[in-house]
Order: sequence, then C-alpha cells, then structure tokens
Amino acid sequence: MSEHLPALVFLTPLATAICMPLAGHGRSAVCRPVALVAVCCMAALSLASLWSVSVHGEIRYSFSGWLPPIGIEWLADSLAATMVTAVSVLGVLCLLFADGLGDRPLGDRAVPYYTIVLLLVAGLAGAIYAGDLFNIFVFLEVVSLSAYALVAVPGGRALVSAFRYLLMGALGTAFYLLGVGYFYAATGTLNIADLSQRLPGLLDSRAVMGGLIFMFIGLAIKMALMPLHGWLPDAYSDAPASTVPLLAGLVTKISLLVWARILYWVMQPGSDGETLTIFTLVSTFGILASVAGACLALGQRDLKRMFAYGGISHVGLVLIGVGQANETGLAGAMYYLLNDAVMQCSLFVLAGFLALRYGASTLDELGRAHVRNPWAIVTFVAVGLGMVGLPPTGGFFGKLRILLGALEADNTVAAGAVVVTTLITLGYFAQVFEKLVRAGSESPSDHQTETPWPLRATMAALVAAIVGLGIWNDQVVALLVDATASLGI
Amino acid sequence: MLELIEAALRRPNLVAFVLLLLWGLYITITHHNYVKKLVGLYIVQTSVIFFLVATGFKEGATVPVITGGNDDYVNPLPQVLTLTAIVVQIATLGVSLGLVSRIYRKFGSLDEDEVLEKLG
Repeated sequence: MSEHLPALVFLTPLATAICMPLAGHGRSAVCRPVALVAVCCMAALSLASLWSVSVHGEIRYSFSGWLPPIGIEWLADSLAATMVTAVSVLGVLCLLFADGLGDRPLGDRAVPYYTIVLLLVAGLAGAIYAGDLFNIFVFLEVVSLSAYALVAVPGGRALVSAFRYLLMGALGTAFYLLGVGYFYAATGTLNIADLSQRLPGLLDSRAVMGGLIFMFIGLAIKMALMPLHGWLPDAYSDAPASTVPLLAGLVTKISLLVWARILYWVMQPGSDGETLTIFTLVSTFGILASVAGACLALGQRDLKRMFAYGGISHVGLVLIGVGQANETGLAGAMYYLLNDAVMQCSLFVLAGFLALRYGASTLDELGRAHVRNPWAIVTFVAVGLGMVGLPPTGGFFGKLRILLGALEADNTVAAGAVVVTTLITLGYFAQVFEKLVRAGSESPSDHQTETPWPLRATMAALVAAIVGLGIWNDQVVALLVDATASLGI
Repeated sequence: MLELIEAALRRPNLVAFVLLLLWGLYITITHHNYVKKLVGLYIVQTSVIFFLVATGFKEGATVPVITGGNDDYVNPLPQVLTLTAIVVQIATLGVSLGLVSRIYRKFGSLDEDEVLEKLG
C-alpha cells in the first residue's frame, strides 16, 4: 500500500477536481467543503508518505508497472515528500483562510473556482514528484494555467495583470520545453536518473549547455527571478485576497524546486569534482535578485506589493544557496524554500485580512487603521521575525545555513549579499511594524466583530509552522540532507 | 563566419526554427494588440514544437513496427512529446483567448494602450 502513496496523493485532488462540476451542479455551497475535505485527505496521505519515506527510504513509483527509462517514473525522496506535505498543509490553510475571510461571494463561479484550486494543488504535487523533465513541464503548465485563471477571478484590473502573467508564463514554458528538447537531442533520454548517468561525458556539448540555459530562462520567468519578475507584483496585488496566499506561497516555489532538481539531480555537480560555470551564474543572479528585490520592497507604499518584492528577494536568497554547489548550501536553500513558502503564505494572509477587515492596503492606511487584533499582530511579529531572520524562527536557521554554504564555497560576495538583504528586510519590516503598533486615534473598529475561527486557526497554524520549523530545524534539515546524500556533493 | 553559414545550410530545419522563434518573440514584444501578442506567442510555441519534430526526423526511416523489411525506424518519442506539447499549447490558447474576450467585454478595446488608459 505505502508504495502507491505518491500516486494517491496526486489523484485525490485531481479526482475531486474532475468530480467537482457533478457535485457542485446547482448547489455551489458544497464546493468549498468538498475542496477542503479533498485537500485534507491529500494532506493526510502526504503525511503518511513522508512517514513512510523517512522510515523505509525513498519510493520510486513506476506508472502501470513500466520500468524507467521507458516508463514514467515518480520519485518520492525525502525532499519531495517534505515539499508535498508543505504544499498540501498550506493548501488546507489557504482554503480555511478563504472560508474565514468572507471575500466577495463567488456565486455560480464557485464550481470552476474550486475545480481550478484543486487542479493547482494536484499540479504542484505532480511537479514535485515527477521523475522526468517532460512530466515536470506538463505539471508546471497545469500549475501555471490554474494560476493565470485564479489571478483573473476578480475581473477588471486583474484581467490585464493575468494576461501579462500568462504572456510571460507561456514564454517561460516555451523556453523550458525548448531546453528539454535540447537535452533530449543530446542524450536521448528525459528520465532524471538516466540523464545523470549519460551527461558526465557530454558536459562540453553546446546542446547540453544551451538546453540548461534555456531551462534556466524558462524557470527564471516562472520563479520571478529579478530581471524577469515584472508580472509578479501586479498579479499578486490584483488577485483575490483569498487566493494570493496559495499563489505566493506555492507557485513560484515550485519552479525553484524544479531548478534545484535539474542542477543537482540531473547535472550531478559532485561527480567530476569541478564546479560548473552555471552555478556561478545562478549564484550571481541570486545575489542581484536578493539585494535589488529587498531595495524595491523598501520603496513600496502598498502592502501587497511590498510583500511581493520581499518574495522576489527571497527567491534570490534561495538561489544563492542553490548556486554554491555544496551540501550545506543546497540543504539550507531547500530548508529556506520551505520556510519561505510558509512565510509568503502568512504575509498574504495578513495582507488580505488587513485589507478586508480594516481597509488597510497601504502603509499610510495601516497607520490610521488602529489594528488591535491580537491574532493579526502575533502573526505579523512571527512572520516579521522570520522574514528578517531572527531566532527562533525558521528564517534565521535557513539564512544561517545559506550563509555557511556561501562561506564554505569561499564566496564572500554571496555571504555579504545575504547579510545586506537581511538588513534591508529589517528596514521595510520596521516600517510596517511602526505603522501597525502606532496608536491610531480614529474609529476603534475592532471591537464589534470577532475573528472567525477559521481565520484564527489559519493564523495560529502559520505561526506554529514558522516557529516550529525553527525549533526543529535540525530534524527538518536532516530529512532534506537525506535526499541529497546520493548526490556525492 | 563561412563555416557558420555552411553549418546552418546543412540544417535548414534549425534555421527555420530560429527564424520562427525570433519572429514570434518580435511580434509578442512589439505589438500592442492583445490578439496579435497571442499570435506571436503561438508562433513561439509552434517553433519549439517544430524543433522537437525536426530533431526526431530521420531520412528514409519508417514507423517503429517490426515488419521484417526495412530496419530503419524513427524514434517515436519526439512525436509523442510534440502531441502533448500541442495539447498544452491549445490549453494555453484557450485560457488566453478567454482572458482576452473578458478584457474586450470589460474595456471595449483590445489595444494595450487604450486598456491601460482606461485603468488609469
């Protein structure tokens, strides 16, 4: 039974998505509970698979019994199992949050909306598990198409943002596919394990390097790496408040994970002892993105845009870790990726809550809003500590490990960039915090409405995740290092 | 330079692919009409699919079914990839046309400048 878990984790949301139009026909009120139950089941299954992977070792799942490289293989190592668990748990929290937020009712559109949300979650699980480059392409596209549609839900300005996102995203997908084509032309295989065996002799080949660059460009658009991030702030500030946590927490992270898979599991940097130039490139882009993204965040007055640029700068931080070609850096980057998913999710949960409850979507409005909601303030403090990188949050240990990785690779510029980013992040969070705690004089609007329990549950769980990931950082990193043990770096 | 041109002439498929890719990118970037941008995007995607098909081509080979006669087979995998890529392309086109039609109904225009002007 346990060897089928990866497929079951993926099939639960997919099957529910397909059945959703039947279940929700004429009674759109059932859509949200049905979606919530499906994602809860998925979370339970992914926890079971995480347990199974950590006890019995990685699961290699061959569909229909066709063995790789001919058949389609899914790889559930401890990295994939951890990420899928994070995706499904955050999915549950985002749906709970949407429940408690009381956003504009969807009416008849609830059926397509929840179908798309479930497809998004299923696509994320597929992209994490997929063991070959082409399946990754297909699942990335499932995720992206769902994301374009979700951004467009409110209509108006969001339509234009969604269209721009689509244009950029589709170009990114085309470049990624082109890179996959180059790899296939050079090696004759797409399976990650198979590629890693055939590539060592071909590293000088221009087709392989070209393919790698094309895949990097494609994924860089999707992960909103610095010069290619233009779609992200608009898309996130115009998307519905109940949907952004899902997009911000999960969608861009998946491309980062895929890129780490390609760099380490396909290219196997440790196998011939020399560091590939591509790692220097990745690290350099990471340095640029982390510092420039943080500077841009410092200049924003709109909360959602500020958090969006904060996310862009954290993409850079993860890439700094990924680009060091050593185990400390990679494990730190993957651990930070996990934290960043939780933190981005919490940030946009807060932004949505403040905008809908207090009408505060810019810094100045926040200063006037007189927020005295304990749940929001505790969440903000926790996520602020995490984003800046102070103990005991996971953000601190993640940054520390990335820093150690950079020092291990003698890359002082990268290490400096991590520190500089931390300081600038402190700058813009201090700004928000100052506005949040300032004693606003007008309209103490807090007292009339109680925070509904789904909101409280979401915020409590997110705070617990941010702090818990920090307290048990050794265990989580040990789990992630377990996956990198076979790489020989 | 001469060797480069020679190498290119030996692979006319790749030249066609590069031209299509650049042409599509040019249209997507320069045109202000949303539908024309989509046409450019479609050309880019098609050029990648063309590349996949072109790499799978082998002169004088047949379908990979053992008949006893011709032993020269074409690898069917690039074509399978192409098929999936076409499906993905169609899905993207469907979503994007849906978005464009909603933009048109909302703003009464398909021109990017006019739409941005109305957004303020």
